[in-house]
Amino acid sequence: MSHSLNEIEAMSKRAARGAGLSWGLAEEAAKGTRWLAGYGYPGPDLLADLLELNDRLPAIDFSPTSLDGLWRAPAGRMSPLIAGAAMSDCAVRMLDGQAITIAEVSQPLLIVPFASGAALRLGQPVAVEWNDVCLTTDGKQLCVQGAKEGVLTTHTSEVRCSAPAQMMAPTKPVMRANVTDACWDRLGAFAHRTYAPATEASRLLGAGAGLNDND
Amino acid sequence: MNTAATHSTTVPLRDPAQVMRLARLGSLHQSRLSFMRILTRRIAREGWTFDRPVFDIDAKGVGHAVLSTHTPDRTYSLVAFAHDLPADMRSDRVIAEAWDCTFTLFDGVPTPDDIARLSKNIPLQEAGRVTGSELSVSRANRSVRLWEHVVSSLAKGQQPDPEKIDAVGYLMRTTAVYGSGKLGAADREMIADRAEFATPFQVEMLSVFLTRAFVRDLVQHMANQRAAGDGKTAAKLDPEIARSMGIGNSTGLGMAPFLLNHPVLFNNWVAARETAIARVRSVETASADEVAVFRDVFDRSLHSVGHWHSEHPIQVKKLAALKADLDALENHITTADLSADYPWNRLYTWAETHLGVDAQECLASLILEPYGALVDDLADHMAADNTPTFRIAGAMTLGKLSEILQDAYGWAVTTDWKQPDNKARAWYVSEEKLEPRLGERFEEPIEDYEQPLAPGLDAATLNQALAHWPKETSVAEFLLRHPEYRHIVRRAQIVGRAPYAEIRDNTISKDVLPIDMLRCKLAFFGAVHFDPRSDRWVRICMYGNAPFPEEIQSRDADLWVYPDGKEV
Repeated sequence: MSHSLNEIEAMSKRAARGAGLSWGLAEEAAKGTRWLAGYGYPGPDLLADLLELNDRLPAIDFSPTSLDGLWRAPAGRMSPLIAGAAMSDCAVRMLDGQAITIAEVSQPLLIVPFASGAALRLGQPVAVEWNDVCLTTDGKQLCVQGAKEGVLTTHTSEVRCSAPAQMMAPTKPVMRANVTDACWDRLGAFAHRTYAPATEASRLLGAGAGLNDND
Repeated sequence: MNTAATHSTTVPLRDPAQVMRLARLGSLHQSRLSFMRILTRRIAREGWTFDRPVFDIDAKGVGHAVLSTHTPDRTYSLVAFAHDLPADMRSDRVIAEAWDCTFTLFDGVPTPDDIARLSKNIPLQEAGRVTGSELSVSRANRSVRLWEHVVSSLAKGQQPDPEKIDAVGYLMRTTAVYGSGKLGAADREMIADRAEFATPFQVEMLSVFLTRAFVRDLVQHMANQRAAGDGKTAAKLDPEIARSMGIGNSTGLGMAPFLLNHPVLFNNWVAARETAIARVRSVETASADEVAVFRDVFDRSLHSVGHWHSEHPIQVKKLAALKADLDALENHITTADLSADYPWNRLYTWAETHLGVDAQECLASLILEPYGALVDDLADHMAADNTPTFRIAGAMTLGKLSEILQDAYGWAVTTDWKQPDNKARAWYVSEEKLEPRLGERFEEPIEDYEQPLAPGLDAATLNQALAHWPKETSVAEFLLRHPEYRHIVRRAQIVGRAPYAEIRDNTISKDVLPIDMLRCKLAFFGAVHFDPRSDRWVRICMYGNAPFPEEIQSRDADLWVYPDGKEV
């Protein structure tokens, strides 16, 4: 079904929160999912895969143990959301020619939206590479080199982020996205965990019924 | 953040610590920079034209209509579906499932295929789906008190009773106007580069402007049909009476978190108005014409306040105080020398020491009126692109972050959050209709579902969490250990750059009034006559006294919000 990007962001935020991410990370996951969907990539599917993989597990297990040297997660696989957020936080390092290298990353494409944010902050394109794939973004457009299969890989041994990079054959985002009902349902199941069960009391009090509304 | 805010003024912008309190935000008044007036000025300036290519509604009031407006570059069409709603199904609550009328603003002119598609979706509202060709989805219910009176009066060949009109102010009220991608509609990004949508909420304001014209046509149509059934001819609704009516609106809790969820946008709204106020307070001398404009709108706004009704105890009290203050202000203005230097600054400063916040804000809006040439450009600085500000600046030191916390959240850092009253409430989303609600933290099982809508508590918690870290440590290092603070660190960094981004007040205390947030947002829309129906939903009137589409070139397209006292 055709969805607006706002709908995708709203659903992704609730889903990420429902899977146990902090609100801040859930917001970033949602912006990233929206960003990928805007470029025609199955961001919502990738997010659903990742949330299912790490469902309600402690975020610290999939976070870099240190921001020095090669970034590794104690559990042996890195969350692209946590690593992506940390990469964006450390963006200025890349301007000094210091690449950020991250080991054993799940759903590496989910890192790329964070490179977009970093690029906007730096005012320089940022490149994200793994295997035979290289994605470069200046925050407003995206260049993709490599086969689709490689771009959508579920896991890679190493991701390298660097700046400044060259923008070759950039594409602009489209403003609509198609999300399958199955994917929407997967995200919806996570999102559902964030909703308080309705009670008659909440129906009356929570929304503040007050005076008659049919006059 | 807001480039307009850098415009230098002799009188500085008001301190965010003063402006961003809920009591003041909940006392805001419409101004030149309200979204309805920005739209009507543009319509008049650019000479938009209007037509009604379809009005296919039967004697029972069932059918559809299309009202189009043509800008210099594009056409937008309100597609209206009219229904025959049983009285027991009429509710303003967001959990309603049927309405008297449902609408969408279509990007262009809809084809018969579009209408067929929309007719299967728009009447369902949240249960339907729309596409990128639709810019908004909305619905409206009749005012039971007024609708039947107007139809039956006209059908009998009479005009409706002005007192009854005045007591309600509108024939229908909208209960939701969805835009920005809701239900599959076009995202704001799809239309943000169009000049007519450079100011926020112009889609929604246009939709309501056209809705008001449709509702006037519908009530006349229904009266005509009823009269024809009796072999008679209905009276034509007096244009003056028609114009006195706006479109009502019921706004509930769902809208309250908006200001918290869009901090940069909110900053830009407030910064635009504050900049306008500072510019006018910095005016060295006022011409006789400018003083005359001010005195005129002041008198007219006294008249408008006289027609402001509410039964809610909080509003009754506020209205009494506002009226008393405006009387005092009227006395002061009679004797004040507005030909002295910095007349508006003198007037405003007097108000700050002699009047309550409601009247202060009323005056702050009114002094802008003579100065369209000085302040109207700020309308182009009220939108926001969140993308560049969303990323956390990880290189910032914790020392700098701590400074921001002390400055922007000083009130929160010194609040005793162990006191249950200070966090008695929690915002959550209910399973039903997925709407935000406000509950009692210590009485309902809602804390696990709490939404991040308590920046004060979050900031105080963060302030405590980083207290034992070295000041020179980077935010990036801190957040690696504490991802749970990413949300509030982002907010704090935003408010560090955009000082009006944050409500500097407690949004979860036992005394919080969500209607303060609702009024603030609705005042920026340009609403008047706020009528709270509880502490968490409010009725308002939009476009009352505004020219109708066919009148917008021949009548005042700007100061209509101030009735001249002679009408109705």
